[in-house]
Amino acid sequence: MIQLKKFLKIRNCFRVFSRFFVAGETNLFNAHNFIKIEVSLRLTDIIEIAYRLVAIRKPCFLLAACLLFCVFPERSGAAEKADDFQFHGFLTQGYFLTSDNKIFGESDSEGSFDFTEAGLNASWALNTDLRLAGQALFRRAGIGHEHDLEMDFALLDYTVSSASDYLLGVRLGRFKNPLGFYNDTRDVLFTRPTILLPQSIYLERTRSLSLSADGGLVYGEYRGELGNLSLELGAGMPRGNNLDTELAYFGSDYPGNTDSKLSYIGRLSYEHGTGKYRAAISSARADVRYDPKLLPPDDLPALKDIFVPVIFSVQYNGDKLSLTSEYAIRRIQENSLDNNYQANLDITGNSYYFQAEYRFREDWRGILRYDVLYNNRQDKSGKKYQALTGKPAFTQFAKDWTFGLRYYINSSFLVAAEYHYIDGTAWLPIQDNPDLDHLERRWHMFSLAASYRF
Amino acid sequence: MPIKVYVLPDDDPTHIAFSKSVLKVFPYQLRSAWDRLVFSGTGEEPIMLKSEQQMRSVVGSTPGAIGYLSRSMIDDSVKEIPEN
Repeated sequence: MIQLKKFLKIRNCFRVFSRFFVAGETNLFNAHNFIKIEVSLRLTDIIEIAYRLVAIRKPCFLLAACLLFCVFPERSGAAEKADDFQFHGFLTQGYFLTSDNKIFGESDSEGSFDFTEAGLNASWALNTDLRLAGQALFRRAGIGHEHDLEMDFALLDYTVSSASDYLLGVRLGRFKNPLGFYNDTRDVLFTRPTILLPQSIYLERTRSLSLSADGGLVYGEYRGELGNLSLELGAGMPRGNNLDTELAYFGSDYPGNTDSKLSYIGRLSYEHGTGKYRAAISSARADVRYDPKLLPPDDLPALKDIFVPVIFSVQYNGDKLSLTSEYAIRRIQENSLDNNYQANLDITGNSYYFQAEYRFREDWRGILRYDVLYNNRQDKSGKKYQALTGKPAFTQFAKDWTFGLRYYINSSFLVAAEYHYIDGTAWLPIQDNPDLDHLERRWHMFSLAASYRF
Repeated sequence: MPIKVYVLPDDDPTHIAFSKSVLKVFPYQLRSAWDRLVFSGTGEEPIMLKSEQQMRSVVGSTPGAIGYLSRSMIDDSVKEIPEN
């Protein structure tokens, strides 16, 4: 028994505990910090240069990637940093080619390079209980997202209480929304299984709302012999710009404005001691209001939309094989706040995917996934929707078969390729495809991406 | 005293052996857990050193440091934690 506890303690040091075992004494002016600052300037310069190359001429991406690769070939170089300050980042460039329909730019003609993700983050441990962390995110992702630059998270993390078997803390500021297995780090290719996340759960359309929220989150973790149990509960104002929110909720751009109200989020996760089995239930209650500028029929009435997704996640991790599945029920309730107009809606969508990932070798991985999304579980075929609106039925579902391969050149650099065969267009970004009459029901997508991280 | 955790690169044979036989996890699981901490702002990853030589000298000279070495690399500068 004592041996087991000791084993758990040592293992936890390397796994989850590492986050709060940090240097006690902070000296901003020691040699390590000077080295650190130099490195950060050089890296931001290089990412900037790399981006400009990509923006000017598409084939230059490879050159830019090689530049990064040559200057920072191995992530172990990061060892020079001071113990109380960590600095990390990533850069991904993608290419999308589709047979029909558009994703992230003009993907259906010669393919599109309009997909770039870059992030820089820092974490500074003020003492063993207090930590500051922030991440800036740059993203290009098709029409409406030509060059987004945003503060992805910026938080103060305070460990209220901890021992070898539990942890209790609070995060204040802008925190990443804990939803499913991948939402927290959805923009980092190294942490997601495919170039395009399973859209049934991680819809591009609702991305801006699900990214992060401004408020507070409490978390607790218990580590026992049977595994780790953790709970995160947050309250805050979801981010999300007006246009993206209108498109996500109402399907097109209206004259008025959307406004996010206080919303709630939570995730309960279980991890078997070695991480061999993982499971989670996450949910949120997002409150969005619509404030019209004109009177109907030129505008929508004043609306209140309550969006409640519930996501169930399970994962098995073996030596070579990982199996992952997530299932979501997404309910949206829309009510008119204007007594003169009726606009009540209550729709529940559901979605799920099954995914198998196989590590042929340490550096090669293959993936196979079947991913399904229904906007309305009482109208899976979309026929009722078509009868009611005159819009194509296949815009109400999407069934996506994905085959992917990725190669890790080293621990800092990877290249990935994938092929999708998709029946339906329910998750296609609306900005890239404003004209529903030009959509094809069955379409193919091929994608390539290269990514660097440190 | 706060503990400082040091590790070797993901593809280092000693790191792979230590992960599998002592921690009972596959190295890719550690990497993915650390990446989740780092890129979601919820934590920090252990400090990565380049080699066992560097591991021995850093762990040997840093108060509160914990790391791992091949048996042949252990000398008086570091204190061994016996395996169960």
